[in-house]
Amino acid sequence: MKAVFYFFFVFILAVSVSACREIYEPEVNQLDQSILVVEGYFDSEGLRSELRLSRTSNLGAENSPSPVLGAKIELISDTGDSHSIVEEGDGLYVFQKNIPETNTYLLSIQLPNGQVVESDPIQPILTPPILDAGFLRDESGVEVYVNTQGNENADDFLWTYDETWIFLPRIRLTFIYKPDEGVVNRNDDERIDLCYKTEKNAGIILETSSRFENQVVFRQTIKEFEEGDPRMQLRYSILVSQKAIPQEAVEFWEKIKKNSEDIGSVFSPLPSLIGGNLHYVDDQERPVVGQISIGVVQQARIFIDREEILPWDISIAEFDDCFIGIDTIRSAMYEQVFSSGAVLPARVVPGPMGPIGYYTAARRCADCTLYADREKPDFWKD
Amino acid sequence: MTIDPMKQFYFVFLFLLIGTKLSFSQDIQEPRISGFFPGISFQRFMERVEEETSYQFYFKAQDISDLTVNLQADKSKLSDLLDAIFLKTDLHYSFGNENSVFISKGEKLQTQLPDGFFRNISRSDTDLNGQVDEAFVRNNRFVIGELTPGRTKAKLSGVVTSLENGEPISGAIVFEKIDFTRSVSAPDGTYSIVLPVGKHTIYIQNLGGYIEQRLIDLRGDGELNMNIGESIYSLSEVVVNSGAINHISRPEMGVQTLSVTEMKKLPAVLGEVDVLKGILVLPGVNTVGEASVGFNVRGGAADQNLVLYENSTLFNPSHLFGFFSAINADAVESVDLHKAGIPASYGGRLSSVLQVKPKFGRTDKIGGSGGIGLLTSRLSLEGPLGENTTFLVAGRSTYSDWVLDWLEDRADFNASRANFYDVNLNVSHQFGEKDVFEFTGYLSKDNFRFDPDTVYGYQNQNFAAKWTHYFNEQVEASFSGGRDSYDFDITGEDNPLNSYQFGFGIDQTFAKLDIRQDHGDQHIFNYGIHLNHIRLDPGKIRPYGPESIVISDEVEREQALETSLYFSDEFEINDEWMVSGGLRYNLYNYLGPQTTFTYPDGSSHSEQDVTGEVNHESGKFIKTYHGPEFRFSARYSLNNQSSLKAGVNSMRQNIHLLSNTSVISPTDTWKLSDEFIRPQTGIQYALGYFRNMALNTLEFSAEVYYKTMRNLLDYRSGATIILNDDVEQDVLNTDGRAYGLELFLKRSSGRLTGSVSYTYARSLLRTNQDETKEKINDGEEYSSNFDQPHHAVLILNYEVSKRFNATFSGNYSTGRPITLPVSKFEYGGSERVYFTERNAQRVPDYLRLDLSINLEGNHKVRKLAHSSWSFGVYNLLGRANPYSIYFVPQGGSLQGYKLSIFGSQIPFVTYNFRF
Repeated sequence: MKAVFYFFFVFILAVSVSACREIYEPEVNQLDQSILVVEGYFDSEGLRSELRLSRTSNLGAENSPSPVLGAKIELISDTGDSHSIVEEGDGLYVFQKNIPETNTYLLSIQLPNGQVVESDPIQPILTPPILDAGFLRDESGVEVYVNTQGNENADDFLWTYDETWIFLPRIRLTFIYKPDEGVVNRNDDERIDLCYKTEKNAGIILETSSRFENQVVFRQTIKEFEEGDPRMQLRYSILVSQKAIPQEAVEFWEKIKKNSEDIGSVFSPLPSLIGGNLHYVDDQERPVVGQISIGVVQQARIFIDREEILPWDISIAEFDDCFIGIDTIRSAMYEQVFSSGAVLPARVVPGPMGPIGYYTAARRCADCTLYADREKPDFWKD
Repeated sequence: MTIDPMKQFYFVFLFLLIGTKLSFSQDIQEPRISGFFPGISFQRFMERVEEETSYQFYFKAQDISDLTVNLQADKSKLSDLLDAIFLKTDLHYSFGNENSVFISKGEKLQTQLPDGFFRNISRSDTDLNGQVDEAFVRNNRFVIGELTPGRTKAKLSGVVTSLENGEPISGAIVFEKIDFTRSVSAPDGTYSIVLPVGKHTIYIQNLGGYIEQRLIDLRGDGELNMNIGESIYSLSEVVVNSGAINHISRPEMGVQTLSVTEMKKLPAVLGEVDVLKGILVLPGVNTVGEASVGFNVRGGAADQNLVLYENSTLFNPSHLFGFFSAINADAVESVDLHKAGIPASYGGRLSSVLQVKPKFGRTDKIGGSGGIGLLTSRLSLEGPLGENTTFLVAGRSTYSDWVLDWLEDRADFNASRANFYDVNLNVSHQFGEKDVFEFTGYLSKDNFRFDPDTVYGYQNQNFAAKWTHYFNEQVEASFSGGRDSYDFDITGEDNPLNSYQFGFGIDQTFAKLDIRQDHGDQHIFNYGIHLNHIRLDPGKIRPYGPESIVISDEVEREQALETSLYFSDEFEINDEWMVSGGLRYNLYNYLGPQTTFTYPDGSSHSEQDVTGEVNHESGKFIKTYHGPEFRFSARYSLNNQSSLKAGVNSMRQNIHLLSNTSVISPTDTWKLSDEFIRPQTGIQYALGYFRNMALNTLEFSAEVYYKTMRNLLDYRSGATIILNDDVEQDVLNTDGRAYGLELFLKRSSGRLTGSVSYTYARSLLRTNQDETKEKINDGEEYSSNFDQPHHAVLILNYEVSKRFNATFSGNYSTGRPITLPVSKFEYGGSERVYFTERNAQRVPDYLRLDLSINLEGNHKVRKLAHSSWSFGVYNLLGRANPYSIYFVPQGGSLQGYKLSIFGSQIPFVTYNFRF
C-alpha cells in the first residue's frame, strides 16, 4: 500500500508564519452553479450517524451551508436490502441501524429536483478499537493522544474530536436584579458563573498504520494545547472518534486538508480539485463533493483537570479590563442601573443596617452564558 | 602614504581614455567646436570636446588640475581655443596623428618622430614600465614586424600580464574597434589576433576591469606583450565595453554576463551579495517569490536551469530555503546566463545555462578578502603556492541567530534555529608551457530546526578537475571530470517511538572532453563528448533512535547514463554574416536494477491500468531515449553599431524536479526519465535587434522568442510526490509554450550607469491530449505558475565620487498566477474552499524599490587592507508584496489572507575588506 506521510504537512506548516499575513478579501470568480456536497460516515453497529446534504455557496455568502431538504436517501446492500435514511431537517439525515459488515453498499440520493446521485460501492471497514487515550504534560503544554493498532483491513485512520470544557466568567457573582424583587440571590436555574462550552473540531487527522512496526500507531497526537490555554480553566473533556477509512478516502480527506490547512505558505502545494466517491447517475462529469464511508466508529473520552497540569497560568486579554466597579449603587438607583442587563450587581456594600447597595460588574465579565451553555452535558462527570 | 603621482596620472589617463571618443574616420576637415563653457574645469572641457569631436587628449593630471575654462565658442578651431585657454599658463599643446592632442607643461611635446624610432622598445611595453612616463605606453605607436610588399594581413600575438602582480591575465579581450576583430587571452595570458597591415589602436580589456589601449603600426607578424592594470583601480570602475561590442558582434543571442563587481553594487537582502539573485535584473528572468532561488528563464520552470560552478552542477544552489544563494561571491569571477544561443557544449536542461566562473587566485602574493554582514561573515584567502600553482579558498558561515529572530518578526521566516556554511576551494596549477590543471571544490550545508522536534538539513558536495592542454595556437583540449552530489534529510523526533529520518540524495559522476580548434581565420570548431552517470536515491525513511517503531521504507534507487556528443562551428562568412551552428546528440539509458509496473500500450499509467510487474536486473538498459539537439545562431551586421540576429535552439532534459508547489521547495526531489516519464524537449526560435549607441556606452537590444516544450510534468489533484514508488501514476504529461518580447537598454560608462529592461512574456501549459488521468482546466491552456506578462527592472548606479556610489533598483511585475477558490462548502466541521480552474487569477502586482550605498575606503595601493561598507534598504517602500492569497477556516468560517515575504523595509549593512 502506498504510504502517505503527514509529517511533511506539519513541516511545511511550520515554515509559514503569520507575521506578514494580513486579512485580505480578494475578488474571486464566482461559480455560476452550486455543487452538491455530501458528508457522512455510517456506523454499522447502530451508533447514530448523520449524513449532511448541502450545496456550495459563494465565498462571500453570510449563511454558509445551504442545506438540501427533501432528498430521498437509501443505503442499498449488494444483497438487495435497502435501508432508508431519515430526514431530520436542515439538511441533516440520520441513520441508526446495525448492518452486516460483510456486504458492500451503495448510497443512492434522489434530490428534490429528481436527479439521482449514487456512490461507488462501499465496503464497510471494522475500525480497530482505541487501545489507549490519554494526555501528556510537558514544558510546551499538553498533548492529547491515542494509541491504536491497524490490521490488514484497517490501515488508514481518520480521527475527529469534540471538545467540551467548563467555562468560568472572570467575575463570578451570585446576585440577580429582578424588577419586582430588587437584588436577590440567583437560584440554580439562574446561575451564570458556570457554563460548558462545546466545540466541534475542524481539524483532519490522518495516519497510516503500516508505516509502523506491527501497525501500531503510538501516541498519535490528536490535540495540542499551548501553555496557558484557557480551555483548561477547570475541567476539560475531549471525545476522540476513530474511523478506519479506505485508501481513496485518505486521498479525499488529504485534499480537503491540503486545500484548507496547507494553502498559502511559502512552500504550499497547489490546490487540488475535490471529488469523492459520488456521482450523478446521468452525468458522470458533473461534480459532486463527498466521500461516504461505512464502518465502526471507535470512541474514547478523556477528562483533564487543571489540577493535573499545574502550573497553568491562564490569561485572557479580552477580560483583562474586568473589574468590580467602585461606585456604590444604592437601591434607589437599581432600576436605572440594572434594568438594561448590561451591568450586574456583583458584591454587597455592607452597611451598619445590612447592605446599603451593590458594587457592579459588566455583564460581559460575569455572564458565561454569553459564551457558552449552562446546561451540563449528559456525559459530563464531575 | 600618498598616491604616487605617476599612478594618479595613470588613473586619470585611463579614466579619460575610457570616456574618450575614438574616431577613426579620416576627417579631412578639421573639427570645429561650438558651445558655452562657463567656468568649467579644463578636464571637463576636454571631455566635452572629446564627446563632440574626434579629438583625444593626452595629459598629466597635475598639470591641468587648477585650470578652468570660461569661454564661448562658435565653430572655433581647437587650436584657437587652446591658445586662449593656455594664454597665461606654462602649458603647451601639440597635435599628433588621428586628432590626438598632447598637453605638456614647460615645453611642447614632439609628436612627429622618425619611423622606427621606437623599434628598439617596440616588442614589449613592459620594458617601459616604471621607467618611462606611462602615458607613452599608451601614446607610443609600437612598430610591429617587417614590411613585406603585397602583404595585407599580419598576426599580432603576445602575452597579457597584470601590472600589479605580473601574472598572466586570462580572459582579457584584445580587440580593435574598426572591424571589431577580437581575441581572448588564454589562461596563460597568450593572445593572437590577425589584422590588416597598417596602423591600429588595440584595446585590451580585462573582464570587469578597464580598457587599455596600445597604438600599433602593424607591418608584419610580430609580438606585443602587454602589461595592463587589473582590478585594484576599481575606483573609476567603468565599462564593459568589449561586452558592448560583443553585444552586437557575437552571433548568439540571449547571453548576458554579470560581473561580481556589478552584483556587489546591487542592493540585496541583508546585504548578502547574491550571484543568483543578481541575474533577476536581466530581461527574461523572473522569479515566483522572494523566498526562492529558483528563477524562471523565458517561461521555463526553475528546474530547467543548469547552474554550473565551472563544470559542477549545483542541484540546490540556495541557502535558508532560497533566501540566499549558496555561492559565495568571493569565489566567483563572473556569471554568464545563456537564455538562448546555448553553446552545443552545454546541455541537459531545457531553459538556460547559468555558468558561474570561479576565481583561481592571484599569483603575486597571498592575499584575501572578507566581510562581516548581518547574517554571515566570510573570508577568503588566495595566492600562489610555489611558482606554478595558485589557490583560492573561501568560506562563509552564519554566526548568530539574532538576525533570524529579528527577521522572524518581519518576514515569513520561522526557522527558529538555522545555520549554514559553504566552502570553496579552487586550485590552478600550470605545468610546462602548455598544460594547466584546475581543481574546483564546493561544499555547502544547511540546517534548520523548525519546531523543537523537526530538523531539516541539506548539503551540496561538488568537486571537479580539469586539465587543459594547448596543442598549438589553433587547438586546445580540456578534459574534465568530477562528481556532484546533493542530499537532504528530515529528522522528526516528536516522540521516541515515532522518530524517523527521511532522506533523499542524488549523485552524478561526469567526464567531459572538449576541444576547441581554430580552423583558418573564419572557423572555430568546438567538439567533444560528455558522459554523465546519475544515481538517485528517490527517498527513504528509517526509524530514528533505538525505540522507534517506524518501519523503514525506500523507493527503489534509480540510475541512468547520459552520453552526449557535440560539434559546433563558428563561421565568420564575411564582415556582415557570422553564423554559429551546433549539433548535440544526446543518448540516455535508464539502467536497472529496477522493478517497474507494466501498463498496456497507450494507457496513461494510472493505478487501475497496472497489468503486472517486471524486475530488471542491474545494469540492464531498461529504456533508451536519444535525439539530436540543434543550436543555430546567425548575426548580420547592419553597420558598426547595429546587427540583427536569429537563432534556433533545441534542448533535451532527462531529469525532472518533482514539485507540486509554486516555488522550488526544500523537499522537492528529482526524478530520472524512465519507461513512463519521457525526457522533456523544447525548441526555441528567437530574433533580435542589437544596437550600440553613444560610442558603445549605450547598448540596446530587442529580442522576441517563441518556445514550445513537450513532456513537462504537472500533477494530478492530490498527487503524492514523496516516497512514491510509482510517480508515473501521479504526473500529467504536459505541453508548454512560451513567447515574449524583451527590451533592454544599458549604459555602462559615465557617472550614471545602469539599465532598464522591459519584458512582455507569457508562459502557458496544457495537459497533453492523450493524458487520461486528469486534464487540468478541461484540457484548455492555463498559465504556468510563473506567467507574469509584464516585468520591468530599472537599475541606476550613480557614482558621486570614486569612493562613494549609490545604486537604486526598481522591480515591477505582474502578479503571479494563483488558483483561488470559487465557492465554499461545509465539511468536517468547518467551511472549506472549492477550487476549479488552475491559475485563473493573479496576486496583486509586485513592486519593490531598493537602495544601496557603497562606500570605499581610501585606495592607496600599498595600504595593508582595503575596506568598504555597503548599506542600504531592501524594499524601500515597505510594500507588502503579496506572495500568495488564500483562505483558511478560522473558527469554522473562512477568512481570506494575503501573505508577503517581506512586509517592511529590510535595512542592511556589510563591511568588506581586502588585503
